[in-house]
Amino acid sequence: MENINPKILVVDDEKGLRLGTQRLLENEGYFADTAENGTEGIVKALSEDFDIVIIDLRMPDIEGIEVLKKIKENKPNTVCFIATAYASYETAVESTRIGAYGYIPKPFTPEELIYQVEKAFTHRKLLLETERLTREKEERLLEIASEKSRLNTIIKSLKSGVLVINLTGETAYFNSSVLQLLNINELNLGEYVLDKLPNKINEMVKKYLKLEEDIHKSYSVQIEIYPGELYIDAYCSPVPNPDNSLAGVVVIIRNITEYKRIELVKNQFVSMVAHELKTPVAAVLGFLKIILDPNLNVSEEKKTDFLIRSSHRLEDLLHMVNDLLDISRLELKNKEKELIEVNLLDCINNVIEFLHNEAEKRNININFENNIKDPVITANPSEISRILTNILSNAIKYNKESGNVTINLGINSNYYFIKIADTGIGLRPAEKEKLFQEFYRVKSEKTRGISGTGLGLSIVKRLVESYAGKIEVESEIDIGTAFTIFLPIN
Amino acid sequence: MELIAIIDDDSDIIEASSLVLESKGYKIVSASNIEEGYKLIIQKKPDLIILDVMLDEPDDGFFLAQKLRREDIKIPILMYTSVSKTVGMDFDASEIVPVDDFVEKPISPDELILKVQELLKKN
Repeated sequence: MENINPKILVVDDEKGLRLGTQRLLENEGYFADTAENGTEGIVKALSEDFDIVIIDLRMPDIEGIEVLKKIKENKPNTVCFIATAYASYETAVESTRIGAYGYIPKPFTPEELIYQVEKAFTHRKLLLETERLTREKEERLLEIASEKSRLNTIIKSLKSGVLVINLTGETAYFNSSVLQLLNINELNLGEYVLDKLPNKINEMVKKYLKLEEDIHKSYSVQIEIYPGELYIDAYCSPVPNPDNSLAGVVVIIRNITEYKRIELVKNQFVSMVAHELKTPVAAVLGFLKIILDPNLNVSEEKKTDFLIRSSHRLEDLLHMVNDLLDISRLELKNKEKELIEVNLLDCINNVIEFLHNEAEKRNININFENNIKDPVITANPSEISRILTNILSNAIKYNKESGNVTINLGINSNYYFIKIADTGIGLRPAEKEKLFQEFYRVKSEKTRGISGTGLGLSIVKRLVESYAGKIEVESEIDIGTAFTIFLPIN
Repeated sequence: MELIAIIDDDSDIIEASSLVLESKGYKIVSASNIEEGYKLIIQKKPDLIILDVMLDEPDDGFFLAQKLRREDIKIPILMYTSVSKTVGMDFDASEIVPVDDFVEKPISPDELILKVQELLKKN
């Protein structure tokens, strides 16, 4: 825009005046061109970018007013002068109306002309600046519009619901997730929406709208939409105007069903743990209170019996606490494990050796059949031992007196499998289903007196799965149960 | 002397409770699950039932109490609980469960005797 040599076109049919003006302007440092009639003037003015055009009013072909009109129509920022010897009030008004910047009466002195041209050039610069600003503003508006549509697309695709409510309780904006999450069939913009909202949201929004609530505070509320199936969290925030008055309320709705489900499982687990821990404590305390009660005449023999039982209960309790700690450690999946080469054959033999006494006590015969060489996996040896000890110990505990346990080690596609089968009490289908649940223990006349935490198989399952393995159970009531552990070969 | 039926899956609790109550001269019969317990109640018609909430299933005790009341068996029931207030198992004795009183484990001998005497006196 900092044009040092402004471009000027002189349109005049009078050669002397035309060339004289041109020379004068060039002497002043302007770039000047000429046109000898109206038609040529229009062609030049429209094809090139002149800052200023000086047009003679009277020309043989076209009237100067017409030339002015044409130029202004096409190039409104070109500053035009009408120059004439026949100045009349009417033509002055007319040419100004059409867009002439000024009116130069002929003849003019060089000073007069230069003065007018300088003024006109300042005006031209202003016009160009205005044009630039207008263009920029338009571009920015376009940008904003596309930004708005992009934002709109983003909000529409959100899984969370976004609902904006105006002061009169009508929808100012919403996305389709709102309908889904609030179980609303139909909603239109500008529709009164409060009655369609769940009560808790309705109340919260109304509080804001009635100005009962601080407009700087936000609240969230959890609502059950379909019991057990859809829970939402609705977060209500006031939308303030720049002057801090209330413009409306925005409600963000999130699906928290999964979170609620986890919370429920967690609560059930905590409740179960509390019960399981409290049961032995209650039994022991019950015994101790009896022993310590001066009003009850308890024989020494009975007291000793109660103390021995108490001691067993506390041992079980300790075992259970350790199992619980193991489970919580297993839940931390990113913990570091020391992995080495473990020979399953050695591992099984060690476990059989370890449980030898227990088997002998119940006169149980353990057979181990293996026909593979060096079944080696990369694992933590104490974890593999734990899996095997647990299953084999169950096979002994839940067996019949003088029963058998058969252990098979083999290969099944990409897995090593270890099958441990007993000839024990077996499982009912319903019992089999619950077998791996925490704290589940088969309760019957036959299992009375067998101690356990109800956590062993749950730990085994977690351990096996941590090696990308799996565990399967076959069982028939009164015939026996077989557990098969699959561990990936690599 | 009155007959008391204790239904609990913890044999230590049955033994301890029996000893306490027998010291006051009560006769005791016991069962460890609701099926046996129900049979026992029908056969022996005890004067009082002591019933654990959690047997094979967490709410077996409630289930048996409801079954008895529905069958118009009005023998007073004293319920043993080990966790009185846990999530998902909040209860108000008088409103929800048709039992006459609650005892939270561990049982203190004095409290047990007192509650048993009160319930027997009422009936």
